[in-house]
Amino acid sequence: MSATTYGWLVLLFPLLGMLTIAFGYKAFPGRTAGWIGTGAIFLAFLAALGALLEIQSLSPAHRQVTSSLWNYANTVGVNAQLSILVDPLSVFMILIVSGVSTLIHLYSISYMDKDKGFNRYFAYLNFFVFSMLLLVLAGNFLLLIVGWAFVGAASYLLISFWYRRTTATKAGIKAFVINVVGDVGLVLGTYFIFKHTHTLDFLQTFHVAGQVFTHNEADLVAGCILLLVGAFAKSAQIPLHTWLPDAMEGPTPVSALIHAATMVTAGVYLIARMHVLFELAPIAQDVGAVVGAVTLFVAGTIGLVQTDIKRVIAYSTMSQIGYMIMGVSVGAYAAGLFHLMTHAFFKALLFMAAGSIIGAMGGEQSLNRMGGFRKAMPFTFGCFIIGGLALSGIPPFSGFFSKDEILLVTGELGGWHWALYVMGYIGAFLTAVYTFRMIFRAFYGDPVPEAQELEAGHLHHPEHPTNPATGEIEDTDVGFPGPTHAIAERALPMKVAMCILAVGSVGLGLLQIPNVDFVIDDFLRPSFAGSAVYETHTKDGLLAFGLLLGTVLGLAGIALAWRVWVARVGGRLSPAKLQARWHAVYELLAHKWWFDELIDGLIVRPMATAGRFAAGTFERAVVEGGLIDGTVSVVRAGSAAVRAVQSGLVRYYAAALVLGVAAIGFYFLLQS
Amino acid sequence: MPLSILIWLPAACGVLGAIFALRDKRALGVFALLGSVAALALAISYIVGYSPGTRGLTHVTDVVWISELGIHYKLGIDGLNVMLIGLTTLLFAMATLAANLREWDRPRLFFFHFMLAESAVLGAFLAQDLALFVAFFDLMLIPFYFMTGMWGRGPREERVRATIKLVIYTLVGSLLMLAAAIATGVLASQQNDVPLTFVLSNLQTLPLSRGSQEWIFLFFAAAFLVKMPAFPLHGWMPDGYRTMPIEVLMVFSGVLSKVGAYGFLRIALPLYPQAAAHFQTLMLLIALASILYGSMVAFTQTDARLIAGYSSIAQMGFITLGIFALNSQGAQGALLQMVNHGLVVAPLLFIVALLSRRAGGSEDVREMGGIAFRAPVLAALFLIVALATLAMPGSANFVGEFLILLGVFNAKLAIAIIAFAGVVMASVYALRLFIRAMHNRPGKNVESRDIGLLDRVVLVPVVAVILFFAVYPQLALRRGEDSVKAAVAPAQAALRGPTFAAALGRFETGPVTGTGNGEAAGARP
Repeated sequence: MSATTYGWLVLLFPLLGMLTIAFGYKAFPGRTAGWIGTGAIFLAFLAALGALLEIQSLSPAHRQVTSSLWNYANTVGVNAQLSILVDPLSVFMILIVSGVSTLIHLYSISYMDKDKGFNRYFAYLNFFVFSMLLLVLAGNFLLLIVGWAFVGAASYLLISFWYRRTTATKAGIKAFVINVVGDVGLVLGTYFIFKHTHTLDFLQTFHVAGQVFTHNEADLVAGCILLLVGAFAKSAQIPLHTWLPDAMEGPTPVSALIHAATMVTAGVYLIARMHVLFELAPIAQDVGAVVGAVTLFVAGTIGLVQTDIKRVIAYSTMSQIGYMIMGVSVGAYAAGLFHLMTHAFFKALLFMAAGSIIGAMGGEQSLNRMGGFRKAMPFTFGCFIIGGLALSGIPPFSGFFSKDEILLVTGELGGWHWALYVMGYIGAFLTAVYTFRMIFRAFYGDPVPEAQELEAGHLHHPEHPTNPATGEIEDTDVGFPGPTHAIAERALPMKVAMCILAVGSVGLGLLQIPNVDFVIDDFLRPSFAGSAVYETHTKDGLLAFGLLLGTVLGLAGIALAWRVWVARVGGRLSPAKLQARWHAVYELLAHKWWFDELIDGLIVRPMATAGRFAAGTFERAVVEGGLIDGTVSVVRAGSAAVRAVQSGLVRYYAAALVLGVAAIGFYFLLQS
Repeated sequence: MPLSILIWLPAACGVLGAIFALRDKRALGVFALLGSVAALALAISYIVGYSPGTRGLTHVTDVVWISELGIHYKLGIDGLNVMLIGLTTLLFAMATLAANLREWDRPRLFFFHFMLAESAVLGAFLAQDLALFVAFFDLMLIPFYFMTGMWGRGPREERVRATIKLVIYTLVGSLLMLAAAIATGVLASQQNDVPLTFVLSNLQTLPLSRGSQEWIFLFFAAAFLVKMPAFPLHGWMPDGYRTMPIEVLMVFSGVLSKVGAYGFLRIALPLYPQAAAHFQTLMLLIALASILYGSMVAFTQTDARLIAGYSSIAQMGFITLGIFALNSQGAQGALLQMVNHGLVVAPLLFIVALLSRRAGGSEDVREMGGIAFRAPVLAALFLIVALATLAMPGSANFVGEFLILLGVFNAKLAIAIIAFAGVVMASVYALRLFIRAMHNRPGKNVESRDIGLLDRVVLVPVVAVILFFAVYPQLALRRGEDSVKAAVAPAQAALRGPTFAAALGRFETGPVTGTGNGEAAGARP
């Protein structure tokens, strides 16, 4: 079979999985739907492997193949077909997406076991994977936008999966609307590019881009910046990031899949896919790089003070994607995508481990109430440590190689890019601190009652389930979390999934070691053929310095976290003292730099006020009052006279119609 | 088969039903249903049989109706109306089925009006003579006056008030249109010195002076904008929507609003191209105001019907926007969007009725909530409809919006960018409606149960059509393309300036009533 046939199969399996589960939702007993869903995604992964083998068997110059099924919207100059593009970049993405998704499906089988929405959950999850695969396989702008929006919709559905929780539905609509803002950016950006290229097809666009666009042409810069708006919304970059922390309302495996491993990296993919355009518009590249750098820093600082374990990881995700966005914006495509891959593994692992500890806490997510789980949950603890070390960039874990390569390329550019380089390393230090703060707070210290209960061999379940965010009492029927919780120590599927991810988190970094091997570089090269910046020339001095600096900063961060949250030497470095001393900074971080309030005050409130004014005052006073009541009273007065002669509405209207026609006819008779 | 059969079949069934179903009132609705389903089957056969490359009209019926006035009974199908008759018959079949599920007071009269309305709407879409179009346009409103006044919800005074508003607004529009239609025929024959004619294809070859075009265009525009409705001519809408029985409202909102938009493409643009070019900016601004205003009000409303109503104002704003981009992309998008909007608003209103039955009879979203709890199928259908309503990419509605905004982007960049705010706002009001009805904690009187079998029979086919167009919008696009291009070509030429217009064989005869600002569009080189 050809590579594109495998490409279509990659899309087909998740779609079939979703339809099977959706239509048979009543028929499947127990965990059947979970296995069907997992199987569908695993088949997609196998098909992705097939595509990999096929594409590698082609000569490097011919590794971009397209295939289309039928005309989607082919009219009045628009040429959108249902077409896919299979090339090393998209194969790279589908492998990651389907691979990690398979593991997360597997994990979910246990994690969501007794949830009353089990079947619905797997239908949504399969739909999400289908959407994400569509996004990365799309062969033209229109289909990309379709995948882009489907992913947003799937994310919405899963964020508000427990739909009787008001907090979840609020988070869902917020995520959806911000994603629509991103869609709008994408559509408008497409217009600016289409205006000159007259095609929506990717390969044709890239082919003619060099001829129709001049360097930094206004329309192209506008188009690329608008594409970036799309990327920022989906990848939770400032200022369109506020939905991501709230999205943690969804079930934890969803956070692992969508809000860490796959969907949020779509922006990175987009910039890499559009690199031909971005390289012609360096201004847009600079915008992307700066926003990425700012995001990685800001998110890192917020991560320091969050108390919800999932939100800590969420801000960490934002921060790491900041690295990737910065990387692909400065031309470090392979490095950015490499980090995307390693991040998918260790971040999914961290979320799964967090899910396990949340299970042990009976649904509670606050770090303030956790502690001392080290003995009770050795496996989860081990996973946390592996994920944490990879995230903090400690050699030889995977994050070490990928993150440092991004910063290396950035540094090599010189000039003001050194500022980004410095930001990146500050971020690396912050990463180590907040990651190990979280680990130390959850696993060290005196065991909390839940941990003691677990050590005694019993998994804690709260007497009355409550919403961890608000404390509202809940039941365990559809629309709320199910009655049981699962921990990795006691559920084989969870354990298997986490083991595989842990192995990847440790070993995947070895795929590409600077100046040693270049598996990722070599594999992706055909997708970036013709790109001037793809071939990086590594300076050994900078390389060694960067690797060393990264290691030192990571270890220093861990040491600081140890000192503050474990060693508790008292005095100046206790958390309470630090909070008191840096009160203003703490407030800023605890309020997440006031972004929510800013957006609320600038956009949401004015819109709501305007809407209420329009509905309440304007509609009543002007439209109904002035225009209608005026007319109605005039007609009433007239009709009173008519009614005296002939009562009844109908006859009056008939008469009016006839009279009117007569009058107008008369007028024209006079005119002619 | 002559198109007259398609047009008059529903009305004939309405009459036959009234005659034959004297004893069994149930049989009455069945007659109506048969008529509407037969019309649907005919319409589908026309859609399937329509080959996209066709130039001009097919299935033409052309007989002289009033010879002294040059009025013909001329019908025909082309790319502009072929999908719209499909939409009309589909929604009427759906609504007739829905109407069969409940008891009506004086059912014979009701079904007669209902079927007459279908015939009149089909006539308006198929008419190829200006006077005939006006006749059908007015005929189609009359049954709705009765259905609102006699079978509407609420106390009699409210019904009467709503009906009066509806009548006044639409009647003013109709009379303006009537005057404009007569003037078109009379002036065209005078200015070109030919016998009086109202046949559209003849009128297109008889250019009017620019001054005449302008006021005639405004008269037509007023009638169409009231019908759609557009801001600020939507005053009849809130009361009308609140009052109409939901089965009637489904077709009213789904189909009748499209006649206005269709009128622009069929009549206003081809016959008054210079005026259309002249008033382009004005029309775009009205469309833009409709989008922003409709969306903004939609997300403060709590009455589910009015959320649908104000969202329609916004959606119709997008359609107007596309038409007055005055290029083939905008118009093509607008034509597709007419079908799409009809396909989503009718099921949306039907769902509102289902929801109110589960929320103790209230249509207020504050009384709803948590209905998805025991109703997974209803929730899934509602979700599909809601996502299509907000034009999520992947729905045909998005393709329509994409083309509309692309057209406007090419015509007037700033307006396109502002209009995108409407895209974002649509996601707010549509999802808000879905969430407040289906999710969160249940309201006081909410009793969640899934959609029943008969209701499924009403809803599922339309949702299936929505899904079909989502994966294959090309079916509608390629049928419309050539006719749309022909419809906007004169206005497009007028926009580019007099030299272009002259090249198209048009010339200015009458005095130019330019008042300074009026020169902008028409005289631009």
